[in-house]
Amino acid sequence: MRDEILAHAREQGSLECCGLIAGKGGMPTRTIRCANVASTPAVRYRIDPREQLAAFRSMDAASEELVGIYHSHPASVPYPSPTDRAEAFYPDATYVLVSLRTGEPEVRAYRIAPDAPGSEKSVREIPIEG
Amino acid sequence: MKAMAITVRLPGALRDTVGGENKVTARGATLDEVFADIERRHPGFRERVVDDRGQLRTFVNVYIGDTDARSSGGLAAPVPSDAEVMVIPAMAGGRR
Repeated sequence: MRDEILAHAREQGSLECCGLIAGKGGMPTRTIRCANVASTPAVRYRIDPREQLAAFRSMDAASEELVGIYHSHPASVPYPSPTDRAEAFYPDATYVLVSLRTGEPEVRAYRIAPDAPGSEKSVREIPIEG
Repeated sequence: MKAMAITVRLPGALRDTVGGENKVTARGATLDEVFADIERRHPGFRERVVDDRGQLRTFVNVYIGDTDARSSGGLAAPVPSDAEVMVIPAMAGGRR
């Protein structure tokens, strides 16, 4: 799965790639690539809403749930930016970030969620295997 | 005869607005009526999805079946009695 996400990030080059991670019982089963429809895709991502709907339907049909959302930072650190935090609306999802800023790609995972209902969101890194 | 209920699915953070479930049932002939019905039981829901000008919030996409509510009248969009409505928060962000 790491390889699939990295391949997507590399194909998009200087533009941010994005997609979903489907799973069962909290364990990832597959990635779903999505188009980035942000108006400035070099520095922002926004998953195509139609593809997002199709992905939810596809996960329903396969009895899967959303376990993660991934995107790349082509030239910056693999850490959620202020925009990433402000626009994170999936408190139960794992946010996977890929950075291609150096020759060696970096992959990190985070939970971005309020500590209590209504409070500011905080970022917590989640260790990933492999 | 009992009127059919509309299923409204709320993935992501929106489930917090309805007490933690990612699915609720509601009644109404338009999206506005459906949201008002949910608001009656879960005060605070509506302002999370509708802005103070009465427009769907930028970071929310609403589908009535496969129809994008924005292309179907926004809050005035008709909702068939057996419809599934999905209120989907955007997935977005980026370096800047």
